[in-house]
Amino acid sequence: MFELKINGATHRVEVEPDTPLLWVVREQLGMTGTKFGCGVGACGACTMHIGGMAMRTCILPVAGAVGLEITTIEGLDHAVQQAWITEQVPQCGYCQSGQIMAAASLLARNPEPTDADIDAAMSNLCRCATYDRIRKGIHAAAGELAVLRAAEAEAAAKAAAEAEAEAAAKAEAEGAEGVEGAEGATP
Amino acid sequence: MTFTNVSRRGFLKGSGLVLGFSLAAGASVRSGEATSELDPTFEPADLNAWIRIGKDGKATLLMGAAEMGQGVYTALPMLLAEELDVAWEDVSVEFAPAAPAYRRNSFSFPGKVQITGGSESVRGYWPILRKAGATARAMLVATAASRWGVASSECRTEGGRVLHGDQALSYGELAHEAAERRAPSGVDPKDPKDFRLLGTSAPRLDIPSKVDGTAVFGIDVVVPDMLNGTVVACPHHGGSLVSFDAAKAKESPGVVDVLEVLGAVVVVADTFWHAKKGAALVDITWDPGDGAGLDDAKLTEILTEALDDAVRSYGHGGAPKFDESKIEATYSVPWLDHAPIEPMVATAHVQADRVDVWAPTQVQNRVWVRAARAAGVSRDDVHVHSTYLGGGFGRKSYADFTDYAVETSLLVGKPVKLTYTREETFAHGFYRPGVLCRHEVSLGEDGLPTDWLVTMASQNILDDFLPPGLHNLPVVAETVHGGLSHAPYAVDRMRVDYGHVRLPIPVGWWRSVHGSHNGFFRECFVDECAHAAGRDPVEYRRAMLKDHPRHLAVLDLAVEKAGAVPAGLSRGVALFACFGSICAEVIDIEVKGGDVFPRKVHVAIDCGMIVNPDIIDQQLAGGATMGISSALHGGLSFVDGAVQQTNFHQYPLLMMKQAPSVEVHVVPSTEPPGGVGELAVPPAPAALCNAIFAATGTRIRTLPVGDQLKG
Repeated sequence: MFELKINGATHRVEVEPDTPLLWVVREQLGMTGTKFGCGVGACGACTMHIGGMAMRTCILPVAGAVGLEITTIEGLDHAVQQAWITEQVPQCGYCQSGQIMAAASLLARNPEPTDADIDAAMSNLCRCATYDRIRKGIHAAAGELAVLRAAEAEAAAKAAAEAEAEAAAKAEAEGAEGVEGAEGATP
Repeated sequence: MTFTNVSRRGFLKGSGLVLGFSLAAGASVRSGEATSELDPTFEPADLNAWIRIGKDGKATLLMGAAEMGQGVYTALPMLLAEELDVAWEDVSVEFAPAAPAYRRNSFSFPGKVQITGGSESVRGYWPILRKAGATARAMLVATAASRWGVASSECRTEGGRVLHGDQALSYGELAHEAAERRAPSGVDPKDPKDFRLLGTSAPRLDIPSKVDGTAVFGIDVVVPDMLNGTVVACPHHGGSLVSFDAAKAKESPGVVDVLEVLGAVVVVADTFWHAKKGAALVDITWDPGDGAGLDDAKLTEILTEALDDAVRSYGHGGAPKFDESKIEATYSVPWLDHAPIEPMVATAHVQADRVDVWAPTQVQNRVWVRAARAAGVSRDDVHVHSTYLGGGFGRKSYADFTDYAVETSLLVGKPVKLTYTREETFAHGFYRPGVLCRHEVSLGEDGLPTDWLVTMASQNILDDFLPPGLHNLPVVAETVHGGLSHAPYAVDRMRVDYGHVRLPIPVGWWRSVHGSHNGFFRECFVDECAHAAGRDPVEYRRAMLKDHPRHLAVLDLAVEKAGAVPAGLSRGVALFACFGSICAEVIDIEVKGGDVFPRKVHVAIDCGMIVNPDIIDQQLAGGATMGISSALHGGLSFVDGAVQQTNFHQYPLLMMKQAPSVEVHVVPSTEPPGGVGELAVPPAPAALCNAIFAATGTRIRTLPVGDQLKG
């Protein structure tokens, strides 16, 4: 019996310890978004996030994933997916769950990757050769996330400034009260 | 034109539960939308076999072709939506069953077909779907007109509504009454100048489900009570199964049974993983049979001998004449696997009175007919459910994998999903054949060819695909020498001789078919001739294309868009026409330490009228890269008739870091649409190798390039 944390939920599965995580997720748990391509970790169609890292799960025994946060395409909600629609990336689409998981993982480590960074990180195979658009999609998602980060930073800065102003106003008010109080306390 | 009113709902009645359980979310291409089968309050009206309109006015279009990445589940609905005048946002697609109503015109075979291949989907459905859309629209208009008591000719349509003056009725309000009307004959589709949707980059309908894991591919099919199996067939092509001992496998966890199916061993288990583990434990004895001794050296010897036995298969202008100035060169290409990332997989459920097959197939009709024959039931009782294809490229035009699934289900009496391992997928392809091609040419005083003799040797992919009665079809010879025969280049005397080789190695359609080898053979040799004549390869081709303005325009566009050769790069050019369109490529490469780095590709195409420019861009970028990938690394080798490449580490596909940037340019045209999906493959190996010659002076005449440029 193995207890797995997948997409925020806990699942208990009864399988042999050498069963690859891919097949546990596909066959025992019925989540088929992650694909089987080669069975030797060569194509990347089976990529999931394990403990925050993109990993090829057709060669990862289930025992090795216990206790780690597992995310599959079904549990992903990421700017990369919208970018894939905007850039119209997929053709047959079979490898794209894996490509998307690899891309999201890349952006988590490197929010503004260069073409060379993308080339170095993205080794998943695509027989339709959507590589040009995958690259564009990653840049687009990076841009979108940068805008979100900037907006968040701005909102945070604004909130901080407001909090500061509020604190200052409060301090002033308290100070005034204090003075008054002090004055009141003054014999 | 009349349409058989194939009722989708009637068709589904018997299998509604099964489909509703497993496939409804994926069967409707737009995820998250309830399909009619799931929502009992949704009562769509069938206007014909292709078009169903709901009360909400949304149109569901049934697609008879297979979506394998080439975009037909967007391009074909566009044809219907254009004529029907519905908003793109209100269109969704469902997979049609195998049925005569969903056949299309064929450019290769007599009659109509339900085959997805030959870059024929848009061409073959073009008149049929436009007429279907226009006819359905006419029925909706007539219904509205009669309600208003006005003439149909006074009404117009827009965005799913019929309009007359200030009055408007939505298609949803009209559909049921319209469906009762008799379909009018002789309705003309729109004049192309009135197109609103065709020619635009309407977003693909399949993409949302392909970014969130909900798209259902063949491997994702789940039906209640299903077993999982995997096949191990004789690795020696030409060989056979002698015996097997399944004792150990049967003790392996989850294994239900080990069977002999169609001469192969099939392990059936509760899960695929258990079937795969069980399969490794079966002790099997194979007889290599006719595969014995069939290795690379033997295959080369057989093809070389066949060159001497070649007979005339095409010619014009009389016998080519040669003197001592003759230029001669022999080229060769290896057997190739399609290597779709989705391995071969199919699910079947054979019952006493009905058969269901769920498959990522390019040949619904073939699966339908064969399943009926295998199970001994009427074709009416066979239901083929298409899924998305995780790549096809021609491999899924064969019914071997569906045959195994049907036969296994027949034997075990339960639904069975049969999934090949990657190793088995490589071992049992229908490969692009290895081909040998010898050129002999005489050049005139201007350096242009006057006489050209091509001698080829290979298997013919149609030997086993077509019944012998159809072997005289032009397509049979075209699949061998198309593009060498009927080349656009002006040559006084041309002949193609063909040495027809028969081998036990299964061969078949591989993206661009004859173009996958003849683009390389012809366009590299033309470069050799240009070099011998001391002329620029582009200017040389231009001189030979004077009677082919469309070809010339495509070549010119690619060259013009490519501009000057960037510093440090070397350039190759190639041109090839097939499947009703013309494609040219300019490839710029860098060679470092014997490694070839394709940097930039400019692709130009004349594919007639444009249906969806963004899909053209996708297909040409992908096709060019696939052509380059195969030219650099693709090749199968054999020992005793067995393929030696077992997985991607031995059959590398180009990865992102190796792939070029591709720019696509389309020649504007008002001609009827041509093919797109396969067009960019043929010029790619040739332009690449011409660039290698420009960079290194080494003429690559044998593919793959591999390590040929290394010391």
